[in-house]
Amino acid sequence: MSDNSAVMGTNSPIPGEVIAPEKTKGRAGVFIRKFSKQKMPLLAAFFVILLFLIAIFGPFLTPYNPDEPNYDALMQGPSGAHWAGTDEYGRDILSRLIDGTRLTLAVSLSSVLIAGVLGTILGLVSGYYGGWLDRIIMRGSDVLFSFPDLLLAIGIVAILGPGLSNVVIAVAVFGTPSFARIIRSVTLSAKETLFVEAARSMGAKNRRIIWRHIFPETVPSIIVNLSMKIGGAILAAASLSFLGMGAKPTEPDWGAMLSMGRDYLSIAPHIVYFPGLAIFLTVLAFNLVGDGLRDALDPKMKN
Amino acid sequence: MKAKGKVWSMFMLLLITVVMTAGCGNKASNEGQGGNTAGGTETSTPTTKNDKDIVIAINANFITLDPHNASDTHSISAARTMYEGLMGFDENMNVVPVLSASHSISEDGLVYTFTLQENVKFQDGTDFNAEAVKVNIARIQDEKNNLRLRKSFAKVAKVETPDAKTVVITLSEPYNAFLNKVAMAPIISPKALTENGADISKMPVGTGPFKFKEWVQGDRLVVEKNTDYWQKDLPKVDSITFRPVPENGSRIAMLKTGEADFIYPMPTEQVSEVEGLEGITVDTIDSTIVRYVTLNTMKKPFDDVKVRQAINYAINKDAYIKVVKSGLGAKLDSTMSSKTQYYSQQTGYDYDIEKAKQLLAEAGYPDGFETEVWGENESETMKGMQFIQQQLALVGIKVEVKSMEGGTLSDQINAAKTPEEAKIQMWYVSWSPSSGDADGATRGLFSSEMFPPAGSNTAYYKNENVDKWIAEANKAVDPEAAKSIYANIQKTVWEDAPWAFMGVDQIISGKRSYLEGVKVFPDGSINVLNAEVK
Repeated sequence: MSDNSAVMGTNSPIPGEVIAPEKTKGRAGVFIRKFSKQKMPLLAAFFVILLFLIAIFGPFLTPYNPDEPNYDALMQGPSGAHWAGTDEYGRDILSRLIDGTRLTLAVSLSSVLIAGVLGTILGLVSGYYGGWLDRIIMRGSDVLFSFPDLLLAIGIVAILGPGLSNVVIAVAVFGTPSFARIIRSVTLSAKETLFVEAARSMGAKNRRIIWRHIFPETVPSIIVNLSMKIGGAILAAASLSFLGMGAKPTEPDWGAMLSMGRDYLSIAPHIVYFPGLAIFLTVLAFNLVGDGLRDALDPKMKN
Repeated sequence: MKAKGKVWSMFMLLLITVVMTAGCGNKASNEGQGGNTAGGTETSTPTTKNDKDIVIAINANFITLDPHNASDTHSISAARTMYEGLMGFDENMNVVPVLSASHSISEDGLVYTFTLQENVKFQDGTDFNAEAVKVNIARIQDEKNNLRLRKSFAKVAKVETPDAKTVVITLSEPYNAFLNKVAMAPIISPKALTENGADISKMPVGTGPFKFKEWVQGDRLVVEKNTDYWQKDLPKVDSITFRPVPENGSRIAMLKTGEADFIYPMPTEQVSEVEGLEGITVDTIDSTIVRYVTLNTMKKPFDDVKVRQAINYAINKDAYIKVVKSGLGAKLDSTMSSKTQYYSQQTGYDYDIEKAKQLLAEAGYPDGFETEVWGENESETMKGMQFIQQQLALVGIKVEVKSMEGGTLSDQINAAKTPEEAKIQMWYVSWSPSSGDADGATRGLFSSEMFPPAGSNTAYYKNENVDKWIAEANKAVDPEAAKSIYANIQKTVWEDAPWAFMGVDQIISGKRSYLEGVKVFPDGSINVLNAEVK
């Protein structure tokens, strides 16, 4: 976290310093070396990998059936039998957390990916063509930027109706403009580079130039921004579920678990404590990985 | 900028965690503190009150303040703070005179003569008299108004006013629950009725102990002391603010901090925690509130009685009481609670998954089916719906839980003008006969005349025998005859299972100990006439 001051670097790599595309292997090597030098992001990366494994193999890992109530074990605190205790229906909280990992990751990843794809296309078009297209897209994202994120999402869900798929759309919509802006700035500098000019002088069509020459230059920025946005998306999805606008109360979504558990805050705090902890650690991990990626991918960063 | 935002959100998360943990710690220390400073004013929660403005937190919004059109208990409670009828109820749901000084019933049960209280004025200064009663009954009966109470007054043939303090009501046929219905019909100021028209539901004017001050939908209803109230020395408080707080946790917190002086319902799972706390009193009484799930008998697959019975077998009611009601309540073993007039106990529907599966298979749904249950978005109702979902999942019925805000839900249900239009499949809800009689616990729910929006037969239950019996029971002058008719009705409905029969509530309210006189009646309505701050 110590080198936070150089955040802006990714958004405008200096054209001259862009490494030529054919050295992909070398680039990857440099990246891995740089990334693994950072302790916290590395740790966080392992945690994220663990989360993905849990999401994939979740059903085989849960000690109990996450949906099976046990009316003889209501709201029990953490114990040997139930590591994270049981909830108000006697369901094992650890099993529900494990089961909910998939839901949490699916919602946050898909919303960020949608935002990434949309934002990248808009940014490339906006930066490359410029002119009125640029102005429309950028003013559009300014409008979206002017809303507080969560408020915009609540508005969208209010229009579309509650449900996880609508949460994905809502989070994607407010995530798009930041991608568009970042990619536009990278595009602006990349289109002035010699190799783009060379391609153009050889008669390459606009589409080819954007796709084959400019897009690869934006990939590091996309990856960094993706990883940075996932944490926010998890938080936003959990908030919406907490407000009853996302996951149904019956689903083992972390936010929904928090929401249903808040009635028991004073008598059985563990019901909200563990989902809260899960959200906290996951968001933290994704943000640390994002930091690490940024530092490792930024060519300006000197070790 | 980005990093700043992220660090900031991390910090907030940490802060929330810390506050949460601290909150849990605080509770314990408060309990100790309360013990040490008993009677003092230094406790963190107030044990005395300086003003006479009380706050009552309840679990749902008021739907309407039109006393002739209210069907939910909270709206009825609110209406009763500002309105009074010729008759009313005491805390055991007996019918007692209010605006009528005395009344007599002719031997054939057809003519009711009321002598009115004198010197009673409406809050707008006009006189309460026989003419006002006549105007109100005419309003209720007017088909154009389509009021909830209309069916209760359908048998009124004529209303006469020989003088200003006498009202003579003649029925077309005997109706033994008529006095209860009269008690359900508060009298609105005729002047206000003409002036406000349809807006009377937002600007109530009655003769009650409190007069309307303001109603902010979803936030509060404020009523203030009616200084010209006809009963001497009442009311004893200056104002009452009703605050709908659907969330159990918030309601209990409001009671603990003294932000609310009275809360109802008291969340069952918190009772053990609050009991014995300095300055808080918990009251428990048996209720006439029954909880059930209506099954739309006109919609597939609930049109098959086997499916409905299967659902009754599939739900473990003992577990329901334990999980959803924290053990405070009883199983529902009829169509009404044991506290209701002419109750007759039924047996059967003991928890039996195999039997439920077998019935489903016989009905042609061996693998179950998908459906949805509706309910209010209030904590305990949501918990009940999830419980039902879990139980039915065991026999293969996949239930989607749809919770809605009370007004939206009511609109959804009443939007269907005919049974065919109805979208409702299952509705987890409760009913209490606010009129205190068996008719009130039966007709509105099981008579085929009472399909929404006219009544609350949300199961769209139609059984010709039951329809016939309901009519007969009303005419029965002999109580024993009425009792056996109601026993037939309960048995038939129980077997037809238009509901999943769930439980009977206990009424649990919490209050600050300095508050007296606020009572919750067995039907769940809140009575504030004698409210007093000591």
